[in-house]
Amino acid sequence: MRLTDTTLAVRPRDNWEALDLGILLARRHARVLLAGWAVLTLPVFALLSLLFWQHPGIALLLFWWLKPLFERLPLHVLSEALFGEVPSLRQSLRAWPHLLRRQWFASLTWRRPSLTRSFDLPVLQLEELGGAERRQRLQVLHRRSAGSARWLTLVGAHLEAVLWLGLSLVLLMLLPAQALQQWSWQELLLAEHDWLWLEHLSNLLYVLVLIVWEPLYVACGFSLYLNRRTHLEAWDIELSFRRLRQRLLTPMAWAALALTLGLAVPTTDALADSPADTDAPALSREAAGERIRALLAEPPFHQPETVTRWRLRETGGESPQPPAGLFRLDSLWRVLEYAASLLEALLWAALLLGAALLAWRYRQWLRVFARLEHNAPAASHATARVLGLDVSPQSLPEDVAGEAERLWAEQPRVAVGLLYRALLSRLLHDYRLPLLAAHTEGEVLQLLCRLDEPQLQAYAGTLTGYWQQLAYGHRALPPAAGEALCAGWRALFPRGTQP
Amino acid sequence: MSESDSQPTPAPADQPAPLPPRQRAAQLAQALGQELRKAVIGQDEAVDGLLTALLAGGHVLVEGVPGLGKTLLVRALARCFGGEFARIQFTPDLMPSDVTGHAVYDLNSEQFKLRRGPVFTHLLLADEINRAPAKTQAALLEVMQERQVTLENRALAVPQPFLVMATQNPIEQEGTYPLPEAELDRFMFMLRMDYPAADEELALVRQVTRSARADMLDVAPLQPRLSARDLLALQKIAAELPLDDQVLDYAVRLARATRDWPGLALGAGPRASIALVRGGRARALLRGGEFVTPDDIKGCALAVLRHRVRLAPELDIEGLTVDRVLRQLLDQVAAPRL
Repeated sequence: MRLTDTTLAVRPRDNWEALDLGILLARRHARVLLAGWAVLTLPVFALLSLLFWQHPGIALLLFWWLKPLFERLPLHVLSEALFGEVPSLRQSLRAWPHLLRRQWFASLTWRRPSLTRSFDLPVLQLEELGGAERRQRLQVLHRRSAGSARWLTLVGAHLEAVLWLGLSLVLLMLLPAQALQQWSWQELLLAEHDWLWLEHLSNLLYVLVLIVWEPLYVACGFSLYLNRRTHLEAWDIELSFRRLRQRLLTPMAWAALALTLGLAVPTTDALADSPADTDAPALSREAAGERIRALLAEPPFHQPETVTRWRLRETGGESPQPPAGLFRLDSLWRVLEYAASLLEALLWAALLLGAALLAWRYRQWLRVFARLEHNAPAASHATARVLGLDVSPQSLPEDVAGEAERLWAEQPRVAVGLLYRALLSRLLHDYRLPLLAAHTEGEVLQLLCRLDEPQLQAYAGTLTGYWQQLAYGHRALPPAAGEALCAGWRALFPRGTQP
Repeated sequence: MSESDSQPTPAPADQPAPLPPRQRAAQLAQALGQELRKAVIGQDEAVDGLLTALLAGGHVLVEGVPGLGKTLLVRALARCFGGEFARIQFTPDLMPSDVTGHAVYDLNSEQFKLRRGPVFTHLLLADEINRAPAKTQAALLEVMQERQVTLENRALAVPQPFLVMATQNPIEQEGTYPLPEAELDRFMFMLRMDYPAADEELALVRQVTRSARADMLDVAPLQPRLSARDLLALQKIAAELPLDDQVLDYAVRLARATRDWPGLALGAGPRASIALVRGGRARALLRGGEFVTPDDIKGCALAVLRHRVRLAPELDIEGLTVDRVLRQLLDQVAAPRL
């Protein structure tokens, strides 16, 4: 291998950049690669399909299983092309059977599921290593690049699937719409029709997809391998030195060198002592090992570094007895725990207090919504002061009519007021009428209509009318009105029925 | 009126004789109401509201979905009313000068002459008022409050009585301009027309299909019942009805309660208190009463307040209506006692 002949710009690259380089490489030699792959695989696929016509799945599985063998062809082309000698299609095909011989069985059996297949292939095919040597070599190579190689294989599998589905969809889209209208998917899936050709067609699509993808896959693995070796063996530095040497080999350079050496007379001081002059103690093998180890234990080979981090306390097992000093720490912990529970209690209290404050702040809103929920005015039986008046039975005299009669002569307004108040009290307590402070006189009468008591209704109407005339109209009532009202009251509420 | 039926008439025989003009006025107003109900079927509440506003001398905004007879109601009133009537159909391209009037140059006299707009009338129907842009709506501001129009630096008084009756449609928002608060506040009442009850709708359909006009009730057979002078006299009588301090206090308390009521973002202004009292007086006259009771105030509270308050956004989101919140308010404000 002569590095100076490579067609690549050799320099250490990032792994992903190396994969990118592989794609470029495959693109440059795409014709040979694609044609070689197609010429190689299509007949094999045709043969397998014919052999297993009744079992398309097996045909595809076998073909897929043989992929590592086919992959040796693109690698051969690429490795030749790396040094500028691109083999023709015929040459590469002719070389392929020889390439197959090496470790074909391992490739098809225990190494088949390997995820780093394309990366490992050059070790086998180009370096021609086997057994323990190969294992060692791969160990070194894998140290930095195995991850990328695995990702390459995984992404590749997905790409294959996507392209395969895409091709199938393209075919489906090419079907005329009329044909699709009569298409019954259920029938297609469940019926026992002879759909073998369709499955073989699908296999063919997969094989076609591989024609594009597999050369790319091999090229990417190969470029990853090259990159790893560039890192390991410093190919770029070697190349630089070689270029330097070539430049210095010109005659002019030799002349200049000779002149310099001739003119410069070296002093003895400038010369280093010859190794023979120093009487270094002869080191035994053990002593040398000792010294090397000591050297390695010192900087810069060994740099101790103190790292402090949190880790979980190990639970279970015999906990060692804590030293005496730790007891103080323990009590400190206990204090901290008390403080924590105190803080927790305080936080809960703050939360409850906040909720209470919030409720107090928006109490009007809560009341509004509560009212909207129970919009029907509740009968307020127990309230003594309803309607802005004192209507509790205790506040009224024993004999309402008698008291009103007595007051009528001097204070007719007070007398009618007393009667009206007593009427409301009766309505509220005897008849359980749901009266509110907001009810006007007219509304009280309307509520009274519900009771279906014509006599009471008529009396209440008359009384309310008189009351309104006195209260809002400021008019004098006819003298006979007082008597009539009292008589009406006695008729409606005879004495003794006082609540 | 619903209350008037249950309202007792206290022993008239022993009373000092009631003032005849008040009774006559009540009869006249009730006759007008009966005439209106011939044309507008199933909208008694709206008819009562309109009559109340007429007696109180306030402007009315009638709101309702199409086809409930908003315009018909106002046209019927114009027919029953002997004074002048003008109608403006509000359209998006209507200009303020189309409403108030403008100066035109007269070639013969070589002078500018004032051409008075349709507002110079007794009854003005502003149909679909929210279809005109705000500047045209604003042309009504001055005339509604001050009963005058300023044209070419001259303040021209409109004839008395002057009433604006506007209609608007609450559901259509496309291409409409909501009335500004200042304009809304100048309307004394906002009446809502709802769908008529089943039997009333039956009567309505029977009557409409019998009439000569294809799809609407005819207002031609209605008789004029009221002249402009009569109306002024009625308004004067209504304004002089006695009002107890407690009732006045109740009206003011109602208006003030809207200002700090939790469900309302914006409360009613002092115009609401004034409208409540005036509306209460007119209602009392309409039912034939001699004085104003709290029932009269409460009866017109919804129509006075519903366009003057704004619902809090929280309740708006809850899907509550202004009417429901106002009813709740009316259920909470204590009525006057002893």
